[in-house]
Amino acid sequence: MAKKPSMGRQKIKIAKIKKKNHLQVTFSKRRSGLFKKASELCTLCGIDIAIVVFSPAGKVFSFGHPDVECIVDRFFTRNPRPNSSAFQLVEAHQSASIRELNLQLTQLLNELEDEKRRGESLDLMRKDSQKRFWWEAPIEKLELNELEQLRDSMEELKKKVTNQSNNILLEIKPPRMNTASSTTDIRSFGYCDGFF
Amino acid sequence: MTRKKVKLAFITNDSARKATFKKRKKGLMKKVSELSTLCGIDACAIIYSPYESQPEVWPNTLGVQRVLAQFKRMPEMEQSKKMVNQESFIRQRIAKASEQLKKQHKENREKEMTEVMYQCLTGKGLQNLIMADINDLGWVLDQNLKEIYKRIESLKKMTPTQVAPPAAPPPPPPQVAAATCEMLARGVHGQEQKPAVESGNVEGMQRPQWYTEWMNNPNENLGFGHGDEMMMQFADNHNAMWSSAFFP
Repeated sequence: MAKKPSMGRQKIKIAKIKKKNHLQVTFSKRRSGLFKKASELCTLCGIDIAIVVFSPAGKVFSFGHPDVECIVDRFFTRNPRPNSSAFQLVEAHQSASIRELNLQLTQLLNELEDEKRRGESLDLMRKDSQKRFWWEAPIEKLELNELEQLRDSMEELKKKVTNQSNNILLEIKPPRMNTASSTTDIRSFGYCDGFF
Repeated sequence: MTRKKVKLAFITNDSARKATFKKRKKGLMKKVSELSTLCGIDACAIIYSPYESQPEVWPNTLGVQRVLAQFKRMPEMEQSKKMVNQESFIRQRIAKASEQLKKQHKENREKEMTEVMYQCLTGKGLQNLIMADINDLGWVLDQNLKEIYKRIESLKKMTPTQVAPPAAPPPPPPQVAAATCEMLARGVHGQEQKPAVESGNVEGMQRPQWYTEWMNNPNENLGFGHGDEMMMQFADNHNAMWSSAFFP
């Protein structure tokens, strides 16, 4: 269940990658990172940009703000940035929704970071406990008789859990046995025909 | 390179914005260049900023024209299939982050309930758990039990005769004895402290002669803490014997 440790950041040579699948993976990751940086640059500095990238397989990926077509046209026709009030209105709209989206994204990323940190501290706790009690060691490390003992204890606990779960369910259902109180109970819950 | 977290919003301070722009634009161009070289692909970047009348480009004007021409030559469908703008790109990022968050939640929940499981194994009561916890606890127990049964199964398959040390052997098979000592040394909680040598599989299992001989000659390869060696020797013997006696 523990995450396999990755190699971390490695310094690589800037030359065409030899292994094909390494090349594919690198393309995928770096293209994604590149678009992310472009998106951030747009947000932070309010600039217009277009990036066009061909994949090793020949597919084309593009990122553009306000959009790729607009930038490509502007580049080829050498037109200055559109300045009409219509354009500015559209742009204001877009900026507003982009602002919203960025807020939403930031919130999610923060939550994700918090959960990751929580996961890490839970892992540490687990590692600690594993050293102290033999039955908390990872299952691969246990001897056969230890496994059998653990199995028996867990099966017992499982019975208790099933029991408790039934108890909780019974607490929700009105009891049928007590004639004195049950009539009022059943009436108030309205379960009369449903459950029994 | 600063490691302060930058807020994902328009930088209102003019000079800060300009400085950020210069740095990040430079970094972005470098990244495009690296991507192109590492993967041997064509790419271009065009940046219009309020600071320059002409767009800043990579690799150069001619290079950009070439790539864009190549781009335009592709069918419309292909062009737009992987085309994104700020809005669609950020939505994609949001979707991905949501997925990751959900997954992380689930992982953490599992870890949490595993803690609860171990606490309950050592006697903590179930009364304070709500229905959702009870359900998840049951799930975690099932997962663990599945793994335990699988492991027991595979261990039994490997060395079947080692499964069943007799109830009161003098002395007990080394690896079981070692385990017992280990258990006691690690201070086992009373609840699970069943006798280590208790096992019902002995009956009905034929023990090869060499096993009995080995049991009766304890002095040969005894030694707690040599559990691994023991297993090895044992396994060697048993392979030879097993192949003839039990797997003709």
